[in-house]
Amino acid sequence: MKKHHFYLCLIALLVACNGGVKEEGGDGYKTRLTFGPGEEARIVEAMLSLTDSSSITLKEGTYQFDNLSIAQVKHILIQGAGPKKTILDFSAQSQGGEGIRVTDVKGFTIDGMTLRDSKGDLIKINKSEKVVVTNLHAIWQVADSTSGGYAIYPVLCKNVLIENCYAEGASDAGIYVGQSDSAIIRKCRAYKNVAGCEIENTSHAEVYDNEFYGNTSGFLVFDLPDLSQRGGYVKAYNNYMHDNNERNFAKAGSFGNTWGVGNAAPGSGIIILAASDVELYNNRIINNNSAAIAVVSGFFIDESAGEKMNDKYFPIPRNIHIHDNVMEMGNAFPEPVYAHHIGKVLVGLDQQLKAQDPARKDMRLPFILYDGITTNILTKGTAVNPDSLCIRQQGTNLFVNIDALNIRSKNWRPSTDMTPFTCK
Amino acid sequence: MRKLCLWTSLLITGMIVGVSCQQQPAKTTTAGPFRFRDRLSEYGFFTGELRQLQPRKGVVNYDLTTPLFTDYTVKDRFVVLPEGRSISYTATGALSFPDSTFIIKNFAYTSPEHRKVMLETRLLFKDPADGQWKVMNYLWNDTQQDAVKWIVGKKIPMTFLDDQGQQRHTVYQMPNTNDCKRCHINNSVLTPIGPKARNLNYTRVGDTENQLEKLAAAGYLTGMPALTQVPQLPGWKDSVHFTVSERARAYLDVNCAHCHTKGGDAFNTGLFLEYEQTSPDRLGVRKSPVSAGGGAGGLDYDIVPGDALHSILAYRMNSAEPGVAMPELARTVVHTEGVALITQWINALPNAKK
Repeated sequence: MKKHHFYLCLIALLVACNGGVKEEGGDGYKTRLTFGPGEEARIVEAMLSLTDSSSITLKEGTYQFDNLSIAQVKHILIQGAGPKKTILDFSAQSQGGEGIRVTDVKGFTIDGMTLRDSKGDLIKINKSEKVVVTNLHAIWQVADSTSGGYAIYPVLCKNVLIENCYAEGASDAGIYVGQSDSAIIRKCRAYKNVAGCEIENTSHAEVYDNEFYGNTSGFLVFDLPDLSQRGGYVKAYNNYMHDNNERNFAKAGSFGNTWGVGNAAPGSGIIILAASDVELYNNRIINNNSAAIAVVSGFFIDESAGEKMNDKYFPIPRNIHIHDNVMEMGNAFPEPVYAHHIGKVLVGLDQQLKAQDPARKDMRLPFILYDGITTNILTKGTAVNPDSLCIRQQGTNLFVNIDALNIRSKNWRPSTDMTPFTCK
Repeated sequence: MRKLCLWTSLLITGMIVGVSCQQQPAKTTTAGPFRFRDRLSEYGFFTGELRQLQPRKGVVNYDLTTPLFTDYTVKDRFVVLPEGRSISYTATGALSFPDSTFIIKNFAYTSPEHRKVMLETRLLFKDPADGQWKVMNYLWNDTQQDAVKWIVGKKIPMTFLDDQGQQRHTVYQMPNTNDCKRCHINNSVLTPIGPKARNLNYTRVGDTENQLEKLAAAGYLTGMPALTQVPQLPGWKDSVHFTVSERARAYLDVNCAHCHTKGGDAFNTGLFLEYEQTSPDRLGVRKSPVSAGGGAGGLDYDIVPGDALHSILAYRMNSAEPGVAMPELARTVVHTEGVALITQWINALPNAKK
């Protein structure tokens, strides 16, 4: 015991020679480094030389970096003085894919700062565990296709918490969790991104108490083919998703037969694509003027989705549960919808419904869209709701089954009958 | 607790301050954590003027049939084996190096006056303490007399001659030590990338004998089967012996697959470019990008067979813009010849829908 103690002190002293200070804090960080603006070179070096259980505090001020990276360490804290006070500017980035890259870290917390204006993603956290991102603002001051893809981007991670964060201006998703297991996103806001928040091929995610507004689309739950794992088991509740009606400025995928966020039609509140076991409830989904909620299969955007089926990809969403949401919609489609490929489909759908039923003349597109492409096409079955879509919502004009398989044929008959899909 | 620590500290301060806070030459043979030395010259790898890179006895120079492209730099590669030990042959992956091996890679460029200007020297050391590879980088000083330990990377303006003898200018990016790790890590384990049997298996220019056979004959390499049993990576420029497809796949293997492979830094993309990959999907044929963002240039697929112009793979290789350019690291100028090869390969792919 004594001997052990002796060595602890020895280590502390060795660390002290490198400018660290040992403190017996309750959080277990053995080395604590503090820097201010103007010390960028020392900060870069400190991040490269990090040892396990280190914290780096960045005092108030604006810092200029090309990029930063942290790799292969455990128990790290990067602490700022608050998002209005500590600002990391990456406009000088000249190499690499992101402003901050965190790779292979077990126990990573970043708290209390603003990251802005990188060429690629703002912060990418790759293959890490126990990831905590709190009180972080990640923004591009100009929101267009020159912005990086993702503002806050954990991928291939385990146990992620994103809390009290704000993302703005991403040309893909502001807050994006990809190919991860167990994630919580709460009390965050996302504004002026193509997608406010996206959960992609991620299992066991909870998204609650957030506000996603002023984006092209508010919230996406996507499963894409050819990736390391399936997603699913996603719950989104108590969120406020409103006024997501902006132009889709994503550059990825030229709006053709593609999978990316470029497919999100302006005016989309929530889109579920090919993901299963998703529950959406107690959300306020207001004034997303194309569709409040869309549930679509991989076939909806790629007819060859079936060829990509394997144990890590299933194109048809199953066990989608939608209940107790408050939904409202404005009087007209948002203007950018007419210039968007999926947007045009929605406009066409609206016209078709009005043609089928003149009584709909003054009605908007229903709140919930379902492409109607079910596992019947795989099983040659005839069940009316084989994939257990279940909706429990009050009100009228709630639902349309797009009948997407026949969208290009004379027999196209989208249906507003919700009976088969009403929760039993 | 704290008091005790302070007391103990005081007691031992005198003993250790000298040890820990002064620059000490590393002892690579004794126990304790390995420390890289402060200057390249301290290792004694070379004899005579350092910049001539004349290897001392036991420092073995080697080359790769298809090397990584790094801004047209000229590379010298050496392996330093511990006394009396040899490399064990492995058919796949990097050869099996004994503990305490150094792998040395020196980067220089050719100036418009045709002088060789040293940039950096990268070391990999297989630490006997834990059997893991460690990385360190050395920056050549202005006088070109020595290179100093340098972990933070550096932007170095250089005016150089490319492979066509054309004068070009760029700001070369010496990687920092995390950059080194990003490419060299697979499943959290750091490994050498270049020295695989298949990439050493050729006859170097000016030699008459196969490089691997020479290494084996000199006793540096043991356990090698008959040469006919050794896999061979095509030389990316060798159009006499290899097809466009073979050369393109070798080029992608060396320039991309350390990240674009299972467990690599780009595992999340689902695009896997190793030479042994056979799935068209994995290779990017009609595969949509996952997280390329603007890097995809508004294109739909990584590879559109027969149409390099609309293939993201070729588009990103043909850019030097951060966020677009691939590879993300180690390249600031477009590799004209590499892009030409990949373009030729994609354009020749049969355009039948799968």
